[in-house]
Amino acid sequence: MKRTAALAAALAMTFTIVSAQDLGVLAPANLAKARSKPAIDITGTWFIDLGFPGSWRFGPPYPKLTAEAQKHFDASRKAQAEGKVYRDDIGQCWPAGVPMIMTRVWSISMVQLPTVVYMISGFMNSLRVINMDGRPHTDPDLVVRTFNGDSIGRFDGDALVIDTTGFIDHHHWIDNGIPATDALHIVERVRLVDGGKKMQIEYTMTDPKSWEGEWKMTKQWNRVDSRDMEIAEVECLPDLNSHIPSTQSKENVR
Amino acid sequence: MNGAKGFKGFWGFRVPEVQRVFMRLRLAWMVVALAAVAAPVFAHHSAAGIDRSKSVTLVGTVKQFGWQNPHSWMEIDVPNEAGAVTTWKVEMTSPAFLIRAGWKATTIKPGDKVTVKVFPLRDGDPGGLFQSVTLADGSTLTERAAAPRPAQP
Repeated sequence: MKRTAALAAALAMTFTIVSAQDLGVLAPANLAKARSKPAIDITGTWFIDLGFPGSWRFGPPYPKLTAEAQKHFDASRKAQAEGKVYRDDIGQCWPAGVPMIMTRVWSISMVQLPTVVYMISGFMNSLRVINMDGRPHTDPDLVVRTFNGDSIGRFDGDALVIDTTGFIDHHHWIDNGIPATDALHIVERVRLVDGGKKMQIEYTMTDPKSWEGEWKMTKQWNRVDSRDMEIAEVECLPDLNSHIPSTQSKENVR
Repeated sequence: MNGAKGFKGFWGFRVPEVQRVFMRLRLAWMVVALAAVAAPVFAHHSAAGIDRSKSVTLVGTVKQFGWQNPHSWMEIDVPNEAGAVTTWKVEMTSPAFLIRAGWKATTIKPGDKVTVKVFPLRDGDPGGLFQSVTLADGSTLTERAAAPRPAQP
């Protein structure tokens, strides 16, 4: 028995060392690996198309909500009808998170490499990392849950397909009064249209703790190439809201 | 594009030059449209606490002006008839939009006499969302870019 345990420990240690030696997405040897030609290249700066149906909002229409989510939704609508703000977490400097960060009315810069896609929103410089080197999602027992989630990507036909899990379950909303939970799973099919001048993303979202079935919609972005549409450093500093009176309103519903 | 080098298009412009003009016009109109449509959602927060059915005119002195992302802001000291001073906090859009509307970081500074129009807070506190400022020289600035003029042939 002792010999078996020792062997198992040695194997476990070997596995750990091998894992630690997995190449990072920016390792030259990883970047240099032979891969199929990417179907599309989304490198560029993009801005949400406010003229596209649905514009920057993820609803309406909304899916059938669970009882818990419906409570938030009803409270949000009641606050709205009274001219109040319901849980304005973004206004209190909580990250917007995926999917809302994608449709903030700010530019998003995207950099596509063979092994990874980086998306940096001009809004609070929120970073998305989409690993493209063939790795699976981070082990659920190890993942650090975040507002933008754990994303892996692959090409499928003329689309880049991004699969995201590992979301955080507090102060994170899909739309006003619709909470995102740790069960949220988002698949984005990214395509370039109009000769690459526009980018469309078809969203399929499931979150059985907040709604039933699949919640689908498509959003569109315009490529913006001018210098004045570049992203800049944007921080939600501790003293920001002391100068922004509407975030401090006594009537906001916390 | 290189293949068009030397080719004279209509109005005597080279084809790439004409394309650039149209691209700039398209961008300019997009910026105007954004300024008109997007201002409420360009904010980092909901604007539901703002009463857009009312406008308040503040005549006072600039106490502070913050030229920063995601919002610029100003504080205006407004005296009442009894001589007491109330400081109004005024939230604005980002410098990127303000630049397109003709603003600079130096457009206003502490001590400037100004007249500022705001949409006030619903809760009655002295604060609101910026509409316009009239400076001591009589010029008025908003957050919206002026509409671009058509290109001259």
